[in-house]
Amino acid sequence: PVSRRPEHRRETARFWRENRAEAALRERCLVPAEEYERFAQALERALAEHQRREEERILQVTSVTSPPRHPPGLPWPRLTALSPQMAADIREAERRQRETVQAALQLQPEPEICAAPSICRPPAGPEWDSPCAAEQPGPSGRQTGPDLAWMESGKVLTFIGHQETEGKGNVHTGAKPPWLTEEEDGSKQQIGPSYEEFLKHKEKQKLKKLPVERVGANFDHTSQTSDSWLPSFGRVWNHGRRWQSR
Amino acid sequence: MSFLLPKLTCKREVDQAIKSVAEKVLVLRFGRDYDPACLQLDDILAKTAHDLSKMAVIYLVDVNNVPVYTQYFDISYIPSTVFFFNGQHMKVDYGSPDHTKFVGSFKTKQDFIDLIEVIYRGAMRGKLIVRSPIDPNNIPKYDLLYQGI
Repeated sequence: PVSRRPEHRRETARFWRENRAEAALRERCLVPAEEYERFAQALERALAEHQRREEERILQVTSVTSPPRHPPGLPWPRLTALSPQMAADIREAERRQRETVQAALQLQPEPEICAAPSICRPPAGPEWDSPCAAEQPGPSGRQTGPDLAWMESGKVLTFIGHQETEGKGNVHTGAKPPWLTEEEDGSKQQIGPSYEEFLKHKEKQKLKKLPVERVGANFDHTSQTSDSWLPSFGRVWNHGRRWQSR
Repeated sequence: MSFLLPKLTCKREVDQAIKSVAEKVLVLRFGRDYDPACLQLDDILAKTAHDLSKMAVIYLVDVNNVPVYTQYFDISYIPSTVFFFNGQHMKVDYGSPDHTKFVGSFKTKQDFIDLIEVIYRGAMRGKLIVRSPIDPNNIPKYDLLYQGI
């Protein structure tokens, strides 16, 4: 730890130079040696504590199993202290077991479960004697049993069946998407406005440029009028609205 | 020269013209095709129609064919020319008794062009009545009778 102190100071100075921080703050950021020692010890303690807890949990899981039916050739595993790596492996294997079992239960209930342990074993790692718990999805699932029941209830997800494509392929295999395979469509439907609509649109744009207060701006040119319709004559015959005489 | 200008022959066609012409001055000449005064006016209208095509649309109407309009617009003298813009009647103060129509013919083509331009500008500004730019000496004189008074 002592050898680290000059290096720590150098690196801090370099960081301050590169990022042009306030020099006053730098002293406050230097970690003194005794602080570092305290930190290292606290770290070891915390790590040991965590390891202990993990081991307890694993021991709990393994303790509820029935007498194992371990495959021939493998010696009875010794439940010595497990490293964090082994614990992670166990967790991973258990998770995969659960998923496999769940998928299997969706299709066929019983025969698949026997195949499940053989699937789970390879991920366990060749150099590691797998505890028997990893091989027993069924009986060891006392804790995971209720979980399985919840997942297969169908209230959260509805299984609609495997999508068989009979060789056509799907998005994963890189087949042609359906919107590009429209060869059999006879009529050429055009997307978007037709040419006349486009021209009408251009006319409307020109109309917008005219002054808004022009005479008859709101006149409806396409209104259907009766035979007796007469245009507004500006109140010449005292007939019509007052504004028409302006 | 009335065969150069389009004609409207019935009330329905006149209605259609008034309603459909958009953003341009509509000029309706009420008269008779072979009346001498009408011939003179029609000549001026025909010769200027092309130059004014962006601002105005001109039609000829025989007063015998549309008695409804002849009465409605109170056409007592021919030719009488009535102006519309976007279906709205436009009045012009020529210095004469009647602002609702132009009675008689124009002295020059330029007079008519100026008049159309003034009407067009006024309409774009939202004015229903404009003042004529024509020299009052060039405006035909007539007496405005109302039911013989």
